[in-house]
Order: sequence, then structure tokens, then C-alpha cells
Amino acid sequence: MMKTSITSTERRTHGLLRLARTAVVVLVALASGFAAPGARAMTESEAGARAVVSETVDEVLAVLRDKSVPTEERIRSLEKIVYGRFDLYVMSRLVLARNWKRFSEKQKTEYVEEFKQYLTNSYGSRIERYDQQEVEIIGEREEPRGDVVIQTKILGGEFDGALVDYRLRKQDAGWRVIDVVIEGISMVSNYRDQFKSIVSTGGPQLLLEKLREKNAAGMVIDETSAK
Amino acid sequence: MKSSGRDPAPRTRRAAVAVISAALIAGISCAPIAGPRDPSDPWERMNRGTFRFNEGLDRWVVAPVAKGMDFVIPDPVERSMRRAFDNARIPIHFGNALLQLKFKSAFDDLARFLLNSTIGFAGLFDVAIEAGLEAHHEDFGQTLGYWGVPAYPYLVLPIFGPSSPRDTVGLAADTFSTVYPWFVPIYVPFSIGVGDRLNWRSLALDQIAAEREAALDYYVAVRNAYLSYRENQVRDQKEDETDDEDLYYFD
Repeated sequence: MMKTSITSTERRTHGLLRLARTAVVVLVALASGFAAPGARAMTESEAGARAVVSETVDEVLAVLRDKSVPTEERIRSLEKIVYGRFDLYVMSRLVLARNWKRFSEKQKTEYVEEFKQYLTNSYGSRIERYDQQEVEIIGEREEPRGDVVIQTKILGGEFDGALVDYRLRKQDAGWRVIDVVIEGISMVSNYRDQFKSIVSTGGPQLLLEKLREKNAAGMVIDETSAK
Repeated sequence: MKSSGRDPAPRTRRAAVAVISAALIAGISCAPIAGPRDPSDPWERMNRGTFRFNEGLDRWVVAPVAKGMDFVIPDPVERSMRRAFDNARIPIHFGNALLQLKFKSAFDDLARFLLNSTIGFAGLFDVAIEAGLEAHHEDFGQTLGYWGVPAYPYLVLPIFGPSSPRDTVGLAADTFSTVYPWFVPIYVPFSIGVGDRLNWRSLALDQIAAEREAALDYYVAVRNAYLSYRENQVRDQKEDETDDEDLYYFD
């Protein structure tokens, strides 16, 4: 209810300010009203996958925060944490998609190893840029065929507010990450597109060659960015 | 055809012709595409040429200027500038949110603009986020997407970079809607665009160098990222009803 006791002088002097303030308050109220999320119980799968992501995030952040440990050693710890919770075999296979069948058993083994090294080289060199960011888990959903997507948000730093989704699949050993999707950009899909044209041009051999070549050069980036 | 005499075309036009033909030659002379064509990129051959031209421009012009900026201007200031540039574009985002019937986003944008332009010193500080008002970056390309126009075919524009016919129309519409109804001279949105681009480039120096270095095919990596990102923006993080069968299952 509106109070009618406000004098016209008051209204004139504070009218504009008041109007602006009211407008903001009303807008904020409306906005938050619209945003009210519907409550929904978490499924067992979602809870399991969420626990894995939450553990991994905590452990990774702990390593990133402790800058007293030499870079090399921190990369090794991160590898251990991340590769323990990622299913690299499934990931590598999803990246190749239909081309997986074109690889011999020996080539498959080599490819999974090279891909792993490639990921380490691509992301390991970036740990120096960590600047006190936090990660918040903001949601989860179960996909029709049983995978679970855990949605997270980066807080602080240059990527403040960036949304990162982890897709997990239940394996014998527990929930394992099979894809990381940053603002809609899927790692699996991105590498798949890149590798597809290479395999169709030069077959499995060319992809392995290119990965080996990159991995050999990858060490150089590590050294320069590690300072 | 005259065999001698001065070219009647003014020097600027000749320069423009030279630049355009250089871009075209780069496009035509690039290596033939081996392997299967991506259905979302029927113009891959031309795009790779333009992409290479842009990469050259980046290496020789944009990145050096951005590096200079990065050296002179501290990162927190650059981030503030980023926010100010963002704030200057909110009216566009507001209009596009309305066109997509996203009234909550429109409200957020309006409130953000009011708060950040005043208390936030022309957008240098993001005070609205403290009030729980998130940014929504709706542009006209997304509005077209919302009404069913697809994000492909992929099109690399000279200077502007990754785009599509849809997003090119969107970019033009957003630029001109800044100009006409408000009688802002064309160089205002243009310099906001250039300033923001340089500022962004300066913030992203390390990431881009790392991406370029890491990718097995940088062109494909950027194409995939652009198309996925735009598609995701149109979907607005909505829960995807259809599981991505093709991407996540072997059969």
C-alpha cells in the first residue's frame, strides 16, 4: 500500500532519486522472483557423480594453491588426481568415434598413451596462471542413458562466471569423467573434429605421427611457461 | 584499355583493391582440402584462406598492439575496461532479450545498466553482480537463432573472424541499431568494437598462444569452438532434452 503522507516538496526533491531506487528494487525483486529454482531431489547417480567432481576439484585446487612445490612436481600430482578420475580410454575412443575401428590393437594402445601425454602437455603448462579461482558446483542432471552431467562455475580471475560441465559415466571402479564442456565447447567434440580430418587424410599412422611430434615439442612450452 | 597514363582510381580505392585481392589470392591459393568436408563448413577452402589472412593480421598488427597495451595497462584495469565495454553494449542486449521474449534477462540487463552506469562508474565496476544480477549477452545473431536460423554455414570474415551468414547479419544489425535511433556517429560503436577487441586480445594473449601451440589443427579447433559456443548461447544452458547420442556413444 502506498503512503499518502509524503508532502509534495519531498516528492519534488527526492522524486527522481526515489523513482530510480524503487525501479531498481522492483527490478531486482522481479528478477530474483523469476529466478527461483524449483526444488528437486538429487538422484543416487547424481549424488555419486557429484561427489567425484567435488573431491577432484578440492584436490586439484589444493595442488594449485600450494605454489611452494616446484611446477614439475605439481604437474605430476595433478596428473595423478585428474587421470584417476577421468576415463581416458573412453575419452580417447569417443574422440576417434568411427575411426577407432581403423586402429590396430597396438595402435590403439599407443594412441591412448600419446593422447594422454598430449593432454598433459596442453594443459599442464597453464597451471602457473592459477590465480585464487574457486569452483562452485551449481547443478547436476542425469542424461537419458545414465550419464550424469555436473555443472560448475568458475569464480574469480579472468574466467569469472565461466560455466564448466563435467560428463561422468558409471564404470566398475565408480563414476569417471568422460568429457569436459566449457561454455558449450566440448573437449571430446573439439578433438574429434581436429583428429577426424587427419585420420581420413593419412590414416591412424598420420594421427600418431602428429601426436608424437606435438608431444616431443610440448616439453618446450612447459619449460618456457614454467619460468 | 589504355596502355599508358595514370590510373584514374584514387589511391585509397587502389589500396582497398590491393588488400581485397590479397585476401582473395590467399583464399584461392590455400592447400586443397583433403578428407571429408564438414557439413557445417561448405566454404572451408575460402574460410581457411581468410583465417590465414586474419592470423597474419593478428600476428603482425593486432597482437603487437595488444602486447603493448598489456605491458602498459595493468590487468585489473583491463578487466575494468572490459566491463565498461560490456556495459556500453547492454542496451543492445536488452533489446535482443526482448526480441527473444526473455523478459527476465531483459529486466536483469536494464537493472544492470542502471546500477553499473551510476554506482559502478560507467560500468568500470560490476556492482550489479553483487545484487545477483547476471549478465546476459543476447545479440541479434542469437535472436535469429532463437527464431530458428541455424548457426552454420561457418563463415570466417576478414578482420572480424569466425562468423556465419546469420551472425554477420546480426553484427550489422547490432551495430546499426546503436547508430540510428540514438543518432550516435558510426565511429562510436566502431571504436568501442576496436577498443574492446584490442583489450580482449590483450587479456587473452597467453591463452591464444597456448591454444595455437597445442592444437593439431587450429582452424578446426576454432571452428568447432565458435559453432559450439554460439549454439550453446542460443540454447541458453537449457537442459538438453535430447541426449547427444552421436557424441557420447560408440554404436
